[in-house]
Amino acid sequence: MTLFLQYAASGVATGCAFALVATGFVAIYRVTRVVNFAQGVFAVLAGMLAFSLLGWGVPHILAEFVAVVVAGVSGAAVGWVALGRRDTTPLASLIITLGLGIGSYAALILIWGDQPISFDGLKGNLLVGGVGMQAQYVMVICMTGVAFAALGWFFNRTYIGRGLTACSSNPRAARLVGIDVHAMGLVAFGLGGALGGLAGVLLTPLQPVAFNSDVGIAINGFAAAIFGGLLRPGAALIGALVLGVAEALVAGYGQASLQSGAALLIMLGIMVWRASRASVLTAEEDNA
Amino acid sequence: MLEVRDLVVRYGAATALDSVSLRIERGEMVALIGPNGAGKTTLLNTVCGLLAPASGSFQLDGRIVQVPEGRQLFGDMTVEDNLRLGAWRVRDRDPARVFGVFPRLSELRRRVAGTLSGGEQQMVAVGRALMADPDLLAVDELSLGLAPMVVDDLADHLLRLNQERGMAVLLVEQNARLALQLCPRAYVLEAGRIALSGASSELARSPAVQVAYLGGATDEAAT
Amino acid sequence: MKRIPGGWATLAVAVILLLPLVLPEALLTIFIFIGLATIVVSGLSLLMGFAGQVSLGQAGFYAIGAYAAALLARDFGVSPLIGLAVAPVATALIACIVGLPLLRLRGHYLAFGTLAFHLITLSILGEAKDITGGDTGLAGIPPFGIGPVVVAGPFKSIIFGYLAWILALLTLLFNRNLVRSRPGRALRALAASEAGALASGVSVGRYKLQVFVLSAAYAGLAGGVYAFYVSYIAPGSFPLVESIEFLIMATVGGLGSVWGAVVGATLVSLLVQLLQALGTFPGMPLRAPAIFSYAVYGLILVGVMLVLPSGIVPALRLVFGKRDRS
Repeated sequence: MTLFLQYAASGVATGCAFALVATGFVAIYRVTRVVNFAQGVFAVLAGMLAFSLLGWGVPHILAEFVAVVVAGVSGAAVGWVALGRRDTTPLASLIITLGLGIGSYAALILIWGDQPISFDGLKGNLLVGGVGMQAQYVMVICMTGVAFAALGWFFNRTYIGRGLTACSSNPRAARLVGIDVHAMGLVAFGLGGALGGLAGVLLTPLQPVAFNSDVGIAINGFAAAIFGGLLRPGAALIGALVLGVAEALVAGYGQASLQSGAALLIMLGIMVWRASRASVLTAEEDNA
Repeated sequence: MLEVRDLVVRYGAATALDSVSLRIERGEMVALIGPNGAGKTTLLNTVCGLLAPASGSFQLDGRIVQVPEGRQLFGDMTVEDNLRLGAWRVRDRDPARVFGVFPRLSELRRRVAGTLSGGEQQMVAVGRALMADPDLLAVDELSLGLAPMVVDDLADHLLRLNQERGMAVLLVEQNARLALQLCPRAYVLEAGRIALSGASSELARSPAVQVAYLGGATDEAAT
Repeated sequence: MKRIPGGWATLAVAVILLLPLVLPEALLTIFIFIGLATIVVSGLSLLMGFAGQVSLGQAGFYAIGAYAAALLARDFGVSPLIGLAVAPVATALIACIVGLPLLRLRGHYLAFGTLAFHLITLSILGEAKDITGGDTGLAGIPPFGIGPVVVAGPFKSIIFGYLAWILALLTLLFNRNLVRSRPGRALRALAASEAGALASGVSVGRYKLQVFVLSAAYAGLAGGVYAFYVSYIAPGSFPLVESIEFLIMATVGGLGSVWGAVVGATLVSLLVQLLQALGTFPGMPLRAPAIFSYAVYGLILVGVMLVLPSGIVPALRLVFGKRDRS
């Protein structure tokens, strides 16, 4: 039983990190209808930057904070390029984010080389409900909780958060009311960048990151985000946790090599089941 | 307070507005009627700054806020959120002043906008526009898809807003009867041009308007 | 939809048919891969441009075609020609089975579904060690040939050059006729709006599946040729980035444009090759090839999408179109 709980615990931790990445996808997609294929890069960038800052003697917390802020700024920069000009379609924006992600590999290799990097997180074990868990796992889960609470406050209690939701709800009306939809898109990208960055600084102590680690992170985040139709962060959180735990269980009890395949199959199954219950019209509205 | 001079607006190769001129004084209620596709919404979007004219100009002395065709609410947000978002450009975000005009909205404040009836949604749309304290309220197709009783009620509200607050109203309508009854002065826009203009009472009596917009008989003896 | 003036097309075909005789071996290999990519991308372009369905997993079907051809020829004693012919059929069959549930998904859901399909395929190929050789791959694929005539030795690349490109040109021709036919019009209606197409009486589900299966068959055919050319395949030969590359080729060339597949495949492949060659120049630091490739690849992608969002061929068509009118 304890083995199961240990697997579940590590799964919940990685799931939380995926949830942060997923929420980044959701934030960006809701406001701009763009799927940001560079979402994983923010995590890698923040992880590597934190590693360097810590190496220069910057204390913990500050180093991670700076890394997340830098990730947020790069997010806004990606958004600025990806949102492009008037005639840039969402598909073109998607390809642009892809291009920016690939281009970022060059910068990452140039600065940090092509080998995996990690740094030390919280050491030791904590007892949670009678189960020994790595302290870093607890950190990940707590920070994710804090992040979600902050996001909830931001979107539901602040005016600008409502403005972002308005852009997602009806961009035309948002423009009429005076909201600068383009600027809101940049804010959404910045938010996505920061969320990805947070996931990165939390994950890197657990799994070393290299310049191309963004793919695995992005795929998991995307899978979880799809769970909520790229629109609902709550569902994305659930999807991320399911995905993380499923992968951990498959890796623990079965074979590590099967974990991603099995997890993907589960997610696919759920999506197809849900899709067969929806009608054409609602799906088209979702994708409009 | 709104003066439009020889406005020309194009969509690619097509000319949507061809040298349109009109004016609206402070506190006036003016109607803009015409068939579907005449360019009424284009004119509105241009004076609201959403479209750039190819030539000509307009001068706006005050704030114009549009109540768009089809309501265009934030469907998955509450009535209260919709109203508060209407105040994006101004300081005062308190919806109390709109609840004063539309008490019904106060009852509906927590309802999700998309679940309301057509008439209630139209009320929210007007209320949202009012939140920005407009000097000129431009209402695009108020009556579309609404029952006559509901439309009359909304029209009454507009009239009162005009009389009590001196708010100018530009009523853009396919429903000419309603528009001409409500507004003392009117313009007729056809295929991007002002075809007729003048006092509503006179326009309502003109045979051209009667035949085209009021369902009158072509027989002159009927007038 | 305007056509590229007939003169250009004939010239292009003539050049393509001459190149295998003229190119040196190294370039000929690239030429072959471009041809194979064209086959895959023409199917993808059809799927995305006309049926409006995004696929991030075409390389999965490419892999299936390769393995099907290789296994049939090596382990089942089937003649390579038959193996090559069966590859697209087997791939189409699998696409049909997978497509039925998968195509219930739409838009980004479907995009993810196809991505997942590629990954799951790689997983299965890696796990089924007894059949596929697992991660170490499948070696000893018999050389391609018809009866006693075996394609090996100094002329192998030339023959494969012709094989790949004749197949590519045939797929382009087939696509062009498909697009102009009645099913083609139905496809375009699908791309515009599913609800609209449904209302017009188009049996949406059936068409979507048919195009999906067709594009998979193209990829499977190309995969079969690939297997016989390289004689060794493994799951690692078909990484996820290859699906992304096909997507980029399709988008850069121009979705739904028949010749766009050629332009996209050629440009992207040449760019990648050029950068790798540049980076291995003497005096370049060890990681230079990778850095170069990624940087310029990314820049080109971003640049093309910002300046020519519909892709290159449609933009060229606009230029030709203006000339036609004057």
